Amino acid sequence: MEAMVVNVLNGLSWGMLLFLISVGLTTIFGVLGVLNFAHGSLFMLGAYGTMSLMRFFPSFWAGVVIAPLLTALLGMGVEITLLRRVYLRDVSYQLLLTFAVLLVLDDAVRILWGAAYHVVDPPASLAGTVGLFSHSYPIYRLFLIVVGPVLGLGLWGFFTRTRWGKMIRAAAQDRQMAEGVGIRVPLLFTLVFGLGAWLAALGGALAAPHQSVGPAMGERIIIESFIVVVVGGLGSFPGAFVGAILLGLLDAFGTLFAGRVQMALPYVVLAFVLLVRPRGLLGREG
Amino acid sequence: MKRWHGMWFLCVVAVLGLVMAPAIGQASNPIKVGFVYIMSGPFATYGQFAKQGAEMAVEEINAAGGIMGRPVEAIFEDSTGKPDVAVRVIRRLVYQEGVACVIGLDSSGVANTVVPLMPELKTPLIVTHAATPDVTGNLCNRYTFRISVSLDQNVKAAALVASETKAKVWTTVGPDYAFGHQSWEYFQKYLKALRPDVSFMPSDQTAFAPIKTTDFSAYITKIMQAKPEGVLISLWGGNLIDFVRQASEMGFFKGNWEVLMTLGGATEVLYALGDKMPEGLWVGTRYWFLANDTPQNVAFRDNYKKRYGQFPSYNAHGAYAALYALKAAAEKAKSVDKEAIIEALEGLTLELPVGTVTLRPGDHQALTNATWGKTASDPNYPLRILKPIRIFPAQTVTPPLEETGCRMK
Repeated sequence: MEAMVVNVLNGLSWGMLLFLISVGLTTIFGVLGVLNFAHGSLFMLGAYGTMSLMRFFPSFWAGVVIAPLLTALLGMGVEITLLRRVYLRDVSYQLLLTFAVLLVLDDAVRILWGAAYHVVDPPASLAGTVGLFSHSYPIYRLFLIVVGPVLGLGLWGFFTRTRWGKMIRAAAQDRQMAEGVGIRVPLLFTLVFGLGAWLAALGGALAAPHQSVGPAMGERIIIESFIVVVVGGLGSFPGAFVGAILLGLLDAFGTLFAGRVQMALPYVVLAFVLLVRPRGLLGREG
Repeated sequence: MKRWHGMWFLCVVAVLGLVMAPAIGQASNPIKVGFVYIMSGPFATYGQFAKQGAEMAVEEINAAGGIMGRPVEAIFEDSTGKPDVAVRVIRRLVYQEGVACVIGLDSSGVANTVVPLMPELKTPLIVTHAATPDVTGNLCNRYTFRISVSLDQNVKAAALVASETKAKVWTTVGPDYAFGHQSWEYFQKYLKALRPDVSFMPSDQTAFAPIKTTDFSAYITKIMQAKPEGVLISLWGGNLIDFVRQASEMGFFKGNWEVLMTLGGATEVLYALGDKMPEGLWVGTRYWFLANDTPQNVAFRDNYKKRYGQFPSYNAHGAYAALYALKAAAEKAKSVDKEAIIEALEGLTLELPVGTVTLRPGDHQALTNATWGKTASDPNYPLRILKPIRIFPAQTVTPPLEETGCRMK
């Protein structure tokens, strides 16, 4: 029983971290129709940025606020200078372009910060543990479990209740019609890509106290994020949420019960979902 | 327009100067040596330390007159940790650069692919990090040497440390590839022989995590639930850092069990963790900068610290040591002919910072001591140091030739 509860918490906290990263990926895909390979690199920039900002500001939170904003600006720059040129081209152009951005960003990170591993402390208020049966459980993990749904609800409210959110959804559904009614679609797309970059970097900033900050940290997480997005349904918000929780729990319980097969489980689920519901669990039909 | 002609002329002279400069430098015909390490990706910090160790050795050797009067030129290649990439860059080093020797290899997976290729390339390879027993075991060949501590030597020392503890029921946490599984297998074999009263947990109570794992919480919970008396941890690099931090948070190190980390004494890991590395854990390493005060070691660690601002890791030592081994072999053979170098490397004895090292002729494995120690804090160092330090001499930890499975052709 004890082990079950601890494992559910393990799965949920990992799942929420996956959600933070996947939600930006799925937003960009849902609105712009671009599968952003560079998303993991933006995640990495968030973590490295937070680490560096903590040298100038004494607070972890300063990093969490500022690093994602800077990354969002960079993301918007990439959208304006590069991505904008390939929206109407074949999908392979978009894949190649975002892959090139990934390579450039990864090498830039290595040149700027070097190859060493770094460790970021969680903020003092979240550093301890709480007693849980006979275990002690890290408060920071519980914090991650809370942040995920809060952010998810916030984004859902933004997309369904605000004027900007509605315009974005309109542009995603029918670009020409949206332009016809006077929505400035290019500006909107830039902002959406910036939002996606912000979410990726926020995920990186929040992941920094949880794992080592080092080169290729983006590569290691991006594959699972892709699985989350595809399982949940490309472009679907609640889908990313469900997919992330599913994969997080699968990871935790697979480790406990499945032994060596555990490594293959996410791919088995991915294949199964693609066979039964090719658009993902909560993907739109059509 | 006329002013520009002058500018153009200057530019041409400048470009010519740049082109000519290396040509002039090359007059004394350098000995080229290829270094192949992981320079990118999650383990890149190991390659960075190795590169620094190699560069220091090159500079020292060249300042002292090179190898038989010829300067050494190091060429660095990134294996990226992938066997196919390593094979490609090593072929390039041999066929296009004409290197006299290849030094390096971090991952056992890469080593297992590269080692069988060396007879075809007819070029000596000195392995400095990859620890799999196969390199000097069933894959051994005339062209391959290893100058660093092997998995057998490291794990035999681990078993000796473990045999002195009260722990009787052991389990493991390791990376889910050959290295992690072999570490556990050899540990069981050696410890069982030393202490017939110990037992080992079944496979559903051991934990092997894929290399890309960043969240180890489920593995940590699993081991804590199993309630072992001793845990052998063979994770390394970023995996080990993530594991130690998350395990600390979850109270793993307060548990009632002994913890042995076979590669916990890597300064790459200890620098990153700083005071997040718990005290009082047994960690192993292939070289420890404070293990002895021989003139070789004092010079190596002080010069390295002065140049790079950090103390040398075992990977820095491996690259440094291999180049000195090559120098000694070439001088012994009075030749840089590859076959002559191989004959000179066989049975070569060297005084290195780590201590006296002999390359055993039968399997080409270095007879070198294995270092373990308990993590301790010291206000003079920004990283955990080892106190006490346990040094296991080569004859205690090296398996006899018959057990290695090596049949040299």
